[in-house]
Amino acid sequence: MEKSIEDIWKEGFLKGDALVAPKVNNLYNQKSIHIIDKFKRMFKINLIAIVAFSFAFLIVSFIVGIPITGIIFFVTLSVLVIINKKLLNGLDKIDKGASSYQYLKSFNEWIQKQVTINKKISRFLYPIIFISMVLGFWFKDAEGMPLGERLVNEILIGFPDVYLVYGIPLIGIIIALFIVVILAYFGGRIYKWDLNLVYGRVFKKLKELMTDIESLRS
Amino acid sequence: MSSDFYKTSILPFAGIIIKLCRAYTNSQEDFEDYYQEVCLQIWRSKDNFREESQWSTWVYRISLNVCLTLLKKNKKTVQHFVSDSITVEETEDNYAFSDESLNLLYDAIRKLSEIDRAVIMLYLEEKSQKEIAEIIGTNPNNIGVRVKRIKIRLKKILDGKIN
Repeated sequence: MEKSIEDIWKEGFLKGDALVAPKVNNLYNQKSIHIIDKFKRMFKINLIAIVAFSFAFLIVSFIVGIPITGIIFFVTLSVLVIINKKLLNGLDKIDKGASSYQYLKSFNEWIQKQVTINKKISRFLYPIIFISMVLGFWFKDAEGMPLGERLVNEILIGFPDVYLVYGIPLIGIIIALFIVVILAYFGGRIYKWDLNLVYGRVFKKLKELMTDIESLRS
Repeated sequence: MSSDFYKTSILPFAGIIIKLCRAYTNSQEDFEDYYQEVCLQIWRSKDNFREESQWSTWVYRISLNVCLTLLKKNKKTVQHFVSDSITVEETEDNYAFSDESLNLLYDAIRKLSEIDRAVIMLYLEEKSQKEIAEIIGTNPNNIGVRVKRIKIRLKKILDGKIN
């Protein structure tokens, strides 16, 4: 070898083609597709997990003697999964060939729609879950008698003056109704909290990417 | 990233970024990915620049960090920290400079460990030992010895290949 590496370096880069910068254009496309694919994967896994859980809970509910809870749980969660599966199908319709900004915007619109629908569902979902638990335990067999009836009998021994409506203490109905109202009121917020817990990082990345692209467009 | 920022703060240093990214990639596709990621990271980190060093040093540091990070992520690229154990993936035919000697030099550089690659490139870019140490985050006293060792190694690889 006769040339020094310093000379090779200097002479090599004197030629015009050595330092041609590539265009900065494709990175956002790749990143947006990656983020959305990740979200879709997580969303699908989440739906599968709900189905698996509702099946497992249905079986367990029969074993522990609260089948009413299990059946209501199963039906409610099945409806939830069907609705979200339909929403997910809508996500597949988003055109991957669109520009990154358009793609992310469409995805963001889909997310907003999905959140709005699920927030509405959550106002019913959490109260239904609570009611199913109450009913399940109320009708659970306790030595030949429903647990709820047994509980009322115990209460009547201690508090004989307690006011009953269709055999249920009024105070109990009021407390249950209060919990149902609270759950219905906070259902949307509970859903948002749950959503952020699972998808928070993906949403954060999506927001960052959209801010980047908006800045690039400005 | 605004096009103004790209034109004024990145493009003048594109040469530095290109040279570094070339040393850590084996294909045009990877090179373009690395280059774009470096540009994006420079733009994202611009608010952290405190003018304690030159902008070019800052660009070098970010470029190097991004290349090393991507290299670790990229399973296609074989990683080696130890100079003595060398396995490098074949470079694609269409990923070459028109200068054959430069291609051979780059091939030789790619056979070095990740850190040695950075050291020799900074040396070839005529950075001082202090600057090299500052960029890499090491002791300036060791840089001279390391450069000598790398040069001997490169000469050994290139021996007989370049006239």
